Amino acid sequence: MDEHLVSILTNIGGFTFIALSAYLLLLTGEISFGQQAFFGIGAYFSGIVTAMWGLSMWAAIPLTMLAAAFSAGLVGIITIRLRGLYFSIATLAFAEMVRLALVGTTWQVKIDGEMIGPNGSEGLGNIRWALDNNIEANDFMWIVLITLAIVMGLFFLMERSRLGSIFRTIGADRLLAETQGINVTAYKVAATALAGAIASLGGIFYAHAQTHVYPENFDVMLGVHSLAYGLIGGLGTALGPLLGVILDIGFLEAVEWVQGYRMIAFGGLVAVLLIFMPRGILDERRVHRLRMAFRTRKTEPPPAKTHDPAAS
Amino acid sequence: MLEIKTLSKHFGGVRAVDELDFTVRQGEIFGLIGPNGSGKSTTVNLVTGIFPPTAGEIIFDGRDITTAQPHVTLDAGIARTFQNIRLFNNMTVWENLWVAQNSAEDKKATNLLSRWMGGSRKAKSQVEEYLEFSALADKRDELAGNLAFGEQRRLEVARALAAKPKMVLLDEPAAGMNREEVRALDERLRALKARGITVLLVEHVMELVMEVTDRIAVLNFGQKIAEGTPSEIQNNQAVKDAYLGTSGD
Ligand SMILES: Nc1ncnc2c1ncn2[C@@H]1O[C@H](COP(=O)(O)OP(=O)(O)O)[C@@H](O)[C@H]1O
Ligand SMILES: [Mg+2]
Repeated sequence: MDEHLVSILTNIGGFTFIALSAYLLLLTGEISFGQQAFFGIGAYFSGIVTAMWGLSMWAAIPLTMLAAAFSAGLVGIITIRLRGLYFSIATLAFAEMVRLALVGTTWQVKIDGEMIGPNGSEGLGNIRWALDNNIEANDFMWIVLITLAIVMGLFFLMERSRLGSIFRTIGADRLLAETQGINVTAYKVAATALAGAIASLGGIFYAHAQTHVYPENFDVMLGVHSLAYGLIGGLGTALGPLLGVILDIGFLEAVEWVQGYRMIAFGGLVAVLLIFMPRGILDERRVHRLRMAFRTRKTEPPPAKTHDPAAS
Repeated sequence: MLEIKTLSKHFGGVRAVDELDFTVRQGEIFGLIGPNGSGKSTTVNLVTGIFPPTAGEIIFDGRDITTAQPHVTLDAGIARTFQNIRLFNNMTVWENLWVAQNSAEDKKATNLLSRWMGGSRKAKSQVEEYLEFSALADKRDELAGNLAFGEQRRLEVARALAAKPKMVLLDEPAAGMNREEVRALDERLRALKARGITVLLVEHVMELVMEVTDRIAVLNFGQKIAEGTPSEIQNNQAVKDAYLGTSGD
């Protein structure tokens, strides 16, 4: 496969994870400008696990996701009383703190005569797990895409399940959700932790594909993009954020003639969509219409039942 | 069943509810009436934990729920509807009922996974029952936001039932309904009572209140000015004055 295409598909995979994490929080009604922190924590933590501790990426994945879920859960608990803009600002501040902490952290050890470990703004290099195990770019792409397929599958399962509906009710009308017995606080913290773990997955793959990551990779622009992906693609289905990533990375970044204008085109797209489709292309209503169209084609509608006389 | 004891709620200088006392007995339909702004909705909001009272106590089923959060009052067995219809408009009728099954029983830890995944077969068949009860079976796949007004009101009542409550608080369920719809609501309220569910009915439609309730409390400026059976209330001078004073709402 063409090298350029492989790198684009790998990127689409990696960034879809962080887009999904922002999307999950958007479902619960929160706009997080800080998901890049967990992407960054994922990249650094997994890089340390494989490059410094010598474990495999397969071991790094669950460890890193746990660490990210834990730190995200803490952020969720600390910010639980913050609503709207205040939550957004708090998450942004947290992400900037993480980035600056990475800039300020140097912790290197000598391994086989080489200094390995986070080195301030020089970042963390020598994340050579893929190279050392002879995993070529093409294979790595498949690892990323298959993992993405699994995560997307879990998202679809969640969206069809009651849990997904519970998350949506919190986003749609928090007070109503609460009066219907939903412990909003608990579900919000759970969603934040889950979103952190998902974002970290993107960071893990990013770090192991790039072999070298820098604190500046996880700046606020990454957070803004990951939010925009769901808002562009739509909040009615987990396909929405994927669609957003494909539009941005697959089209704007990959097609040569838009290259120079990528940020302008992207910003314009976001602005136009927010005006005409405030919940994105695949919003709840369109998804419902598609689902109904699909269902009636497959099965006859249930026969109209006669009403209970006391009820009609 | 529900004891309201010298309950007060002040918003700044406004005494929305002012040292209110009344008791709703198990299994009855209790009417709460009064002119606009007399504190009926505020009382419902206090009981369901939307905000804490300034003073006083709320006892439900022998349990102090004065400062309980909304989801805790639901677990205790109180479900409600809203005066300004509140539904999940982007969800279907079926989904609105499905997601509303959140009683303490539904939440048992052993049921948690099945609950998250989609609920048991029993839970789903119960949704069918609520659809039938509210005559919404043919609207099951419609988005709640697309329903006609009367249908939305019916869905709100059905949703309150889906929580398997011991008691429901209905805040003006007949508002905006035509005669026929009010009559159907009357029958549905009786059906609730027959199932052993206690009802607190806040309502402006007097023929419904007088027809269906067992007892009534009348509020004016946050205070109870009368309490009694429908016929007692109809002949009460203070009540007549309160309603005349607000040019007949
Ligand atoms: N959240 C609130 N904040 C401030 N004032 C409120 C609030 N809710 C109700 N009130 C005031 O309390 C009084 C009683 O309102 P309400 O309980 O809605 O009356 P009712 O339901 O009987 O028409 C009104 O004067 C209203 O303006
Ligand atoms: Mg009211």
